[in-house]
Amino acid sequence: MDLNRSNETSKFSPLGKTLSWFTKTKNANKLFLGLALLCFALFLADFTYHKHGHFHIEEIPGFYGAYGFFMFTALILVAKALRLLIKRPENYYGDKAVDGEEYPTDQLEQGSK
Amino acid sequence: MISILPTAFIFIAAALVLGLLPRGHVRGVILLLTPILAAWQIWNLPVGIFLQVEFVGQTLDMMRVDKLSRIFGLIFCLAAFLGNLYAWHVRDFIQQIAALLYAGAAIGAVFAGDLITLFFYWEGTALASVFLIWARRTEGSYHTGMRYLLIQITSGVILLAGTALLYRETGSITFELMTLGSLGTWLIFLSFGMKCAFPLLHNWLQDSYPAATITGTVILSAFTTKLAVYALARGFAGTELLIYIGAAMTLFPIFFAEIENDLRRVLAYSLNNQLGFMVVGIGVGTEMAINGTASHAFAHILYKALLFMSVGAVMLRTGTSKASELGGLCRTMPRTAIFCLIGAASISAFPLFSGFVTKSLIMDETANQHYPIIWAILVFASAGVLSHSGIKIPYFTFFGHDSGLRPKEAPIHMQIAMGFTAFLCIFIGVYPEPLYALLPYEVIYRPYTMSHVVGQLQLLCFALLAFVVLMRTGIHPPEIRAVNLDVDWIYRRLIPTLYNIIYAGVAKVFQLLETLVNTMIQLLVKELYKLHGPETGVSRMRGVGAMVIWVAILLGIALILSYF
Repeated sequence: MDLNRSNETSKFSPLGKTLSWFTKTKNANKLFLGLALLCFALFLADFTYHKHGHFHIEEIPGFYGAYGFFMFTALILVAKALRLLIKRPENYYGDKAVDGEEYPTDQLEQGSK
Repeated sequence: MISILPTAFIFIAAALVLGLLPRGHVRGVILLLTPILAAWQIWNLPVGIFLQVEFVGQTLDMMRVDKLSRIFGLIFCLAAFLGNLYAWHVRDFIQQIAALLYAGAAIGAVFAGDLITLFFYWEGTALASVFLIWARRTEGSYHTGMRYLLIQITSGVILLAGTALLYRETGSITFELMTLGSLGTWLIFLSFGMKCAFPLLHNWLQDSYPAATITGTVILSAFTTKLAVYALARGFAGTELLIYIGAAMTLFPIFFAEIENDLRRVLAYSLNNQLGFMVVGIGVGTEMAINGTASHAFAHILYKALLFMSVGAVMLRTGTSKASELGGLCRTMPRTAIFCLIGAASISAFPLFSGFVTKSLIMDETANQHYPIIWAILVFASAGVLSHSGIKIPYFTFFGHDSGLRPKEAPIHMQIAMGFTAFLCIFIGVYPEPLYALLPYEVIYRPYTMSHVVGQLQLLCFALLAFVVLMRTGIHPPEIRAVNLDVDWIYRRLIPTLYNIIYAGVAKVFQLLETLVNTMIQLLVKELYKLHGPETGVSRMRGVGAMVIWVAILLGIALILSYF
């Protein structure tokens, strides 16, 4: 299995190999750590210059970071709740919508590597 | 010679010529040359009104060139060029003609100096564009196209009604700045709002764009809604109501985009959200805000097309644009993945990408004009953009879990189209001055200040961090095969259901009436039968003898009576 995997990876183009680095489970922690460090650095950067926003709230160090983090989380939670209300099966609108049908294959140029 | 021809006619002429040419690359070359020629004409036209035509007692201004119409004209030409380059492989004559006429109509509308000319081109965009949906040639796309056409044509009819009322009121059909007040202006406002996908009028967008062909969606994404943005900027700049409408537009689509599975529909919701920023700019209405709207429309057309192109390329290779079926495609489609990431960074407004230098004009002016709540909504909506367009589209397509699909890289002409669009997204972000120079008013603005760059990076990186945390904790909703209800449920489900109920109700009443009448007739017949039937007294057969006796008795009585 592992042998197949590595064999397959060798078939990808150099660019594909580079990008596939990001998809590996073992690298996920490194990426997470890197992002967390970047966020911390950006927070510290707020102390290095004079902030001149339009509103007082912008002058709190890390305001944008905190706003981004919490509003993003709130967005996901509200969207998740919304899904409970409005989710329907894919063929809900039947043949009057494209959701349940396949894209016509004669208009595709499929093929795998 | 060319300066005496409306720009739209270049596209119409090209569409006529196209049919005479052999199929294949020759037609492709015409499709690419036409927008270049049109852009060259627009670039060289001086500011002013040209080509006035008399039409049933009215003077129509076919070409009104000023800095606002010029920038929209130019970006429409650029979008047509990029869309046609992306569609180089398409041999479907109907789609080619539709793409040309659609772009031509949109450009014609932008240069229309009066409302009648605007109306003709307004309907022209509707009629031409629906073929990009029908060209998919499936049952679903046929019905979706019909819904789309109905709404688009209605928008035009309302525009015409508003124009007629306005003419009766003011005696003028010139398309200029209006103040909301009379019924006429409200109707025109409503007509623009329908095409601009105002909240509750928006759902044609998310319904129809995912139903078009792969290349059709790329072309559709550029014109109709941005034409409406232009029309609002021209006709209703400074209308405060637009600030609140725009803020609502930035807000509600981000929730729907988050849980939508079809990535092309995610992009349609995202488009709706981006229009919101532009509409806020129009509502604020200052010179800087209008600059913001025009520049954001310019940048938006490019990065939105780029995102639709990358998802389209995936669709061409895999047959689907559903997030639940995709994932891990960066292994074999790395270039498309990178182009998609550039589009994602641009729409999320990362510094050095186009969205950053255009959206901030609108955001800063909203703050300058003291709309703190609107400003807070726009900042939140910016984090929302990152969520669905910045993360969801590239992550669930090219990274994320491995779907096992190993499709080929996109065709070379698609890569060129995406590469060129991606280059423009970065170019505008790094060097915004040429775009700023094209804007309607002079720009005195520096996007790259320390507080601006750090603030934006903080917002985006911390939001990204929130995404990672939510993914790792399993809170982030998974991609599942489903559709979500939206306002279109009213006319796709509720009204047909109500119709059926009412229809069934009326039918039942008639059925009851019929039964009642039948029963009464039956009763009547029965009664008559009782009286006159063969068993009853009336019709009983009696002997002739009895009759003779009765006659004799009667005659006897008559005889006796005659003696008195």
